[in-house]
Parts: sequence; structure tokens; C-alpha cells
Amino acid sequence: MAEPQKILEEVGSRLGEKVLESRRLEASGAVAVTVDRHDLPAAAAFLDRELDARFVISVGTDLRDAGQGFRVDHIFSQDVRKTWILLRAYAPAEDPAVPSITPEVPAAAWAEREFQDMLGIRADGHPDPRRLVLADDWPEGLHPLRRDVPYDVHPEPVSGVAPPMAAPPGNAVTIPIGPFFPVLEEPTFLKVFADGEEVVGLDYRGFFNHRGIEKLGDSKLTYNEVPFVAERICGSCGFVHSTSYAQAVENAAGVEVPLRAKYIRSIVLELERIHSHLLWLGIAGHILGFDTVLMQTWRMREPLMWLMERLTGNRKSYGMNLVGGVRKDIPKEQHAEIIRVLDEIEREWRKVMKAVLDDTPLLMRLSKVGVLSRQDARNLGSVGPTARGSAQPIDTRINHPYAAFDRIEVKGVWKESCDAAGRTLVRLEEALESIRQVKLLLSEMPEGPILHTFTEPIPAGLEGVSAVEAGRGEVIHYVITGEDARLYRWRVRAPTYANLQALAASLKGMSIADVPITLGSMDPCFSCTERLQVVDVRSRRVRVFTPQELREMTRTRRIPAEGGQ
Amino acid sequence: MSATTAVVLQSVAYLALVLFASPLLEGVMRKVKAIIHSRKGPPIIQPYLDLAKLLIKEDLASEPGLIARLAPPAAFASVLAAAFFVPFGIGAPARSAGDLFLFIYLITLSSACIMAGGLAHSSPFSHVGSSREMMMVVTVEGVIITSLLIVGVSGHTGLLSDLTATPFRWSFLLGLVCYLFAMQALLGKLPFDIPEAEQEIMEGPFIEYSGPSLALFKWAFYMKQLIFGSLFFGLFVGWPHLTGWGVVGSLVNFVVNFAAVLVLSLLVVLVDATNPRLRIDQSLRFFAGLIGVALLGVGLAAFGL
Repeated sequence: MAEPQKILEEVGSRLGEKVLESRRLEASGAVAVTVDRHDLPAAAAFLDRELDARFVISVGTDLRDAGQGFRVDHIFSQDVRKTWILLRAYAPAEDPAVPSITPEVPAAAWAEREFQDMLGIRADGHPDPRRLVLADDWPEGLHPLRRDVPYDVHPEPVSGVAPPMAAPPGNAVTIPIGPFFPVLEEPTFLKVFADGEEVVGLDYRGFFNHRGIEKLGDSKLTYNEVPFVAERICGSCGFVHSTSYAQAVENAAGVEVPLRAKYIRSIVLELERIHSHLLWLGIAGHILGFDTVLMQTWRMREPLMWLMERLTGNRKSYGMNLVGGVRKDIPKEQHAEIIRVLDEIEREWRKVMKAVLDDTPLLMRLSKVGVLSRQDARNLGSVGPTARGSAQPIDTRINHPYAAFDRIEVKGVWKESCDAAGRTLVRLEEALESIRQVKLLLSEMPEGPILHTFTEPIPAGLEGVSAVEAGRGEVIHYVITGEDARLYRWRVRAPTYANLQALAASLKGMSIADVPITLGSMDPCFSCTERLQVVDVRSRRVRVFTPQELREMTRTRRIPAEGGQ
Repeated sequence: MSATTAVVLQSVAYLALVLFASPLLEGVMRKVKAIIHSRKGPPIIQPYLDLAKLLIKEDLASEPGLIARLAPPAAFASVLAAAFFVPFGIGAPARSAGDLFLFIYLITLSSACIMAGGLAHSSPFSHVGSSREMMMVVTVEGVIITSLLIVGVSGHTGLLSDLTATPFRWSFLLGLVCYLFAMQALLGKLPFDIPEAEQEIMEGPFIEYSGPSLALFKWAFYMKQLIFGSLFFGLFVGWPHLTGWGVVGSLVNFVVNFAAVLVLSLLVVLVDATNPRLRIDQSLRFFAGLIGVALLGVGLAAFGL
């Protein structure tokens, strides 16, 4: 008997009458269990503790069109048994509230705050019900992911509104890290409380650049437009998002993707991971003032970027994925070049690894820094190298195999040291493992088509889940199909969302000097935005540059005239 | 030409050399660092351009206080004054006006000015930077003064110009090692650029400074590179200088010394480019250990070893 079926029966026998409905989402490797909303905390506690299922994310859905009120899904992953568990409950439209599961499952803290913000479904009993995603001047009662709110709503900005943030405990001083800080390439605000050099607490406000991509995906874009937007969720792991999205829709619709397309996806995903780990090591070096590491790893990365441009047409944001397969083949003639580039990276990477492992001052800055205990990593829902550096044997390629990863052996890398050094070693070794995988995939890649041909439209009301292991950790996409070749609901969880929630735990007791590298060791990614806005301070006039103008600026080194080329 | 005029002329020439030669060192160091990084790097004259640009910019003062305003010129002036005690291949104008302790006081005064400037602002980063600067000064200056003492004890003199490591004594090796490490820290280079730590505390005590004030701080650091580099050769290496030949001879001596300092700078930049920044506690432990080594050196020197 398949694991999902067994899990359904275990849940049924254990929760008994509390289970109102249960079913399998066959292609996604998922089961959905519906309980009364008041039973959510107890059921979540059972999944977490007795079934050893790891909390992943919550999805709030506005089903008022269908007369079903609101629905909340808490997605869990039983990693060993390779099954997603969707614990769901309904809340009536006139009383949009569910009891919070955060007191039982701390990893759900942000997810519940998010559906409070975005759908106006209250999480009653949440220990920290402050706003998470919505801007501080966003009007009360306007919940953007409700279906009656248009995607392009623009409330009037209000000035002088500040987020309600914690005060420093005792005599501690506030060290503001962000919203803009030298080693944070993206805006976020960490209010670090320090006693002398020692960190004694932390408060967080982020989501400053929330772009409302989910809303765009379930109101404006069609199925095959979404992959290109999904790719813009993250500048360095874009292909992860487009793959994860496409697979979620394919799982929902029960589409069989040609095998060759699966291999191509796996190859591009692993090439993206190699690039991501090279990029990360450089940034980690920079954070510690070791710019030679930054410059050299980024130099090593460059041939990979050129390779990707030749394979896909772009250095990044490859634009390769569609629902049902990929747009571009990797013909035999390109294999030798891929292998040549990988061989060169491997040769240099081994030297880098040796240099890092032999560098006493560097190890002094990484060992016992940003300590995240196994228990915290598990309970706060950490993923990717952050979790694997804390001895959590979770890797989506192994736990929920996708693309061609069920056809090759994936060697998971995890370390016991639970610190920044552990996370570094995980990435160092993983890059080599990815090189091995790409070579293996290339040699085994079967012939055949690369794109599924649709003969009829995808029916509405189907659900799909798919996760992909990004360089930073597990990315998960959940979809509900809708009418007019559009999604009804699209939910995305990027790995940083999970990992940042463990930051407070891993910073406690560290020195201020360790804050940047602790954060950096999680490879955070908050909001990749390439947007240049110039404000004339005298006239208060704002000019936003278009992508074309930015490109022109990089080529001509002149600011283009407004409105023209 | 009277003796006074000669001293005044010599001092003016000295002033010009120290002020205008020191940014060149920085320029070369940046270029070398760029080469280690596989970068092209800025032109060697970039530090001059940086100073010129900063000096003509507006001095944005976030704090109106007198201490905040006076700290940069005072730091600059104390380093410049310290330079007058150091032989740059040519005789130091203030050679017999004070001993090595006065020199160290002046260098410490410049650090104290940086600290005061940082504390005069309300940014938490400048406060953290100042407190780190203070901890660094206590240990690093302990090391440098002890390493100078090693040579002083052997030569029975406290005058910087007369300190020389000949004839050779084993204790000098300890002094030399301690001096080099302390110099790395005094110049604000990795792995000891902890008070500034751009990636952690955004330049610490300097965060609120801009324009001419920032230029003075930067210039003081450039001068320190020349000062400590030259002092190293004066103390531990020492070679025959051209005597006579008047101004030309002095210039030749200066250029030879400057070239030697450039070579030493390569070592400084090599260490800078191949190390991550240490944490303040790690650095304190390191220099506390070095003080022990330096004191051992003084002991050995006292016994004529």
C-alpha cells in the first residue's frame, strides 16, 4: 500500500470523528484532511508530534464564490514517507477566523499572520498577531487576496506610520540593521537588541517590497504567462520557481511531462544551484571582509553564466519552462561544453574548499556562530542548507522527488555542527554533488519530445502541490486551477520565509559582529527588485526607469532622456 | 642661512613630503589588492582624487557639537605631529624634541580623537565602533610600545631617530613580529579593521562624517602607513644613508625609504586580502598574547640578548 494511503488511514484512526473528509491528491503525492476549524490545533499537534510531519506553509483561500466561505490549509511534509499533508478547515464568510496553531506548531507563526493580512482570516490566539506582509499604511480591512479586491488596487499612501516594534529589553541598546545595510542587498529591517557587543533580542519587519505576484497569478495571468513571472520571484533561483509552479499545475491536471523535459529541468536546476552556491560563498566572504573570496568565486561563476546564456538565451531568468515541459532542448552538441565548464569549476572549487578548510581565521568566524540547534531547526521549519547544517536530513530532491530526481541517486549532504560553519560545508559539498548529478543526467538523458501537447483545457477546481530544492532550500508552490486558463489560487513559499524565522534563535547570545554572517549563512533573499527610481528632492518629482532605459544606461553610461530611447 | 631658517625649511619640506607622498602608498595598495582579486582596480592616483573630492564637498554635520567638529582636524594634526619624530630616510625635524613615548602618545591621541568623534554622535554604530577602537588601542598600542622598547633597551635610548636594531640581538626578532602585527591593526587593515568593520557597523566611528572631515580622517590613515612603514625600516632594518649632497641627497634617501615602505606595504596588503575580519574578542586575545611575547623580548633585551 502506498504511503499516502497509509497516512490517511493513520490520521483517520487517530483523529477519528474529527476528520470530516479526506482524499488523496494522487499526482502531487499529497493527502488532504478536512477537520472542523476548532480541531485545527489538536490535529496540527498530532501531525507535528506523532506523525513527525514538518510544518511547511499555510494557504488561505477565498471560496466565497462557491458559497464555501474561507478555507485554510496548513501544509505539512512527512519527509521520510515522502507525503504532503494538507490539513484544512473552513471558516464561514461572516466569521472569518480559525484558531491559531502557532502555540502548538511555532513554525506556523508567519504563515498565519500572512493569511490574516492577505485574506482577513483571523488566527485567534496567535501569540504575535501584528502585520507581517501588508504595509503599515495599508488600510485596515482591505485584504488583497480576497477575490473581490482587484489586483491593481492602489490605496492612498499615508505618511508617518511606523510598524509597532518591540522595545529593547532592560538596558539593551538598539542596533538597527536595515532597512538598508551594506551587506543586505535587499531591504529588510532587523531591530537587534544588544547589551555591549552581545545580542540579547531581535525584532523583525520586512516585506517592504512585496510585489503581489500571487495576486497577479490568480487574477491576471494565464497558465503559461505565470512561469515567466514566477521566475522573477527570485533573481538567483528563478528556474526553481518556474519549475515548481509548472509541476504544481501539471500535478493538478495530471499531465505527464515528457521524460526528456524532466531531465532538462533537472540539469538546469542543478546548474542553477551551482551558480547559487558560488554566489553565496562570495557574499559570505564579503560579509567577513574577505573580499578575495568574493572576487574569486564570482570570477569562477562567470563562465557558468555564459554557459547558461548559450543554453537558454539568458544569463539568469532563463525563460525555459512552460506548463507541460520546457521550451528549449539541450542538444547533444552542447553536452561537451557543459562538461568542460563544469570540469573547470570543479577543479577550482576543490581548491577553494581546501583553502576554506585550511583557513583558521575563517573557521574562527564561522564555528559556533549563528548556532541553530537541531530542535530549533526542526520546530521553526528551517529548510535547505540552513536545516542541513543543523543535522536535519531534509532535501526535497530526496523527500519529494521531482523532475528526473527519481531516476538518479541524490546524495544528501548534512552536517552536525549546527552553526555557520556547518551551513558553509553543506554548500561547499553540495556544489560538487550537483556537478556530479549534471554529468550523470547528461549521460542518461533520453531522446524524445520536450513539451506535452494539450488537447483540451485544464479543468477548473483541481489542486496541485510541488516543491523544488533551491540553493537556499525548499520552494513550494500550491495551485488551484480555475476558469479561462487562469489559476484560482496560487500560493508560493520561498525558502527564506522559513529560514528567517529561525534567525532570532540563532542570534541569541552572539556578538554584534556575528549578526551579518549569521544572517548571511542562511543565504537570505527578501525581495529581488531591479528598479531604479530617482527623486528630485526639490520638486519631489519621481522618475522610475524602465528595463529598456536601465539597459541603455548600462551600455551607454548615460542617463537616457525621459520618455524616449 | 641661519640654523632656525634651515629647520623651518626642512620642516616645510618634510610636511609636504609626508602629506603628498602618503596617499600614493594607499593607491599602490589598492592596486595590488585589485590584482589579488583578479580586478582591474582604480588608478594609482585614486586616493588623491578621493581626498580632493571629499575636501571640496559639503561637510554634513549631523551633530553640531564642538567635539564632533574638532575630532577630525585633531586626529589629523596629531598624526602629522607624530610624523615629525620619524625619520623618513632623512633626519626627522623633531628628532630630539621628544622620545618614543611622546610619539606613542601622539598616535594614541589620534585614536582618542576618532573615539571622541564617534562618541560625540548618537548613532549606535559609531558608539560600537568607538568602544571597539578603545579596546583595540589598549592592546595594540601596548604591543607597539613594548616592541619599540625592545630596541630602546638594547640601544639605551628613547629617541626614535636614534633607535636602530644594530648590532643584531635575538630579541629584535620578537620585536619585529610584534611590530608587524600591531602595524596591521594601527593601519586599520584586515584582519584587524574591527573598529570600522564596514559590513558589520558601517565604518563605525566614521559613519556620521562626510566631506572634508572624512578626508582628514582618511588622510591621517594614509600618513600612518608611511609613518609606521618608515619606522619599521628605521628600527629593524637600517641601511646606510647618503650623506652630504644637500637637498638631492635627502631626496634620494627619502625615495629609497619610500620604495622600501612600498615593498612592506605589499606584505600589509597581502595579509589584508587573505584574511577575514576577526571578532573583537578574538583580536583582544591575540594581542594580549602578543604583549606577553613583546615583554619577553624586553626581558631578553635587558640581558643583552
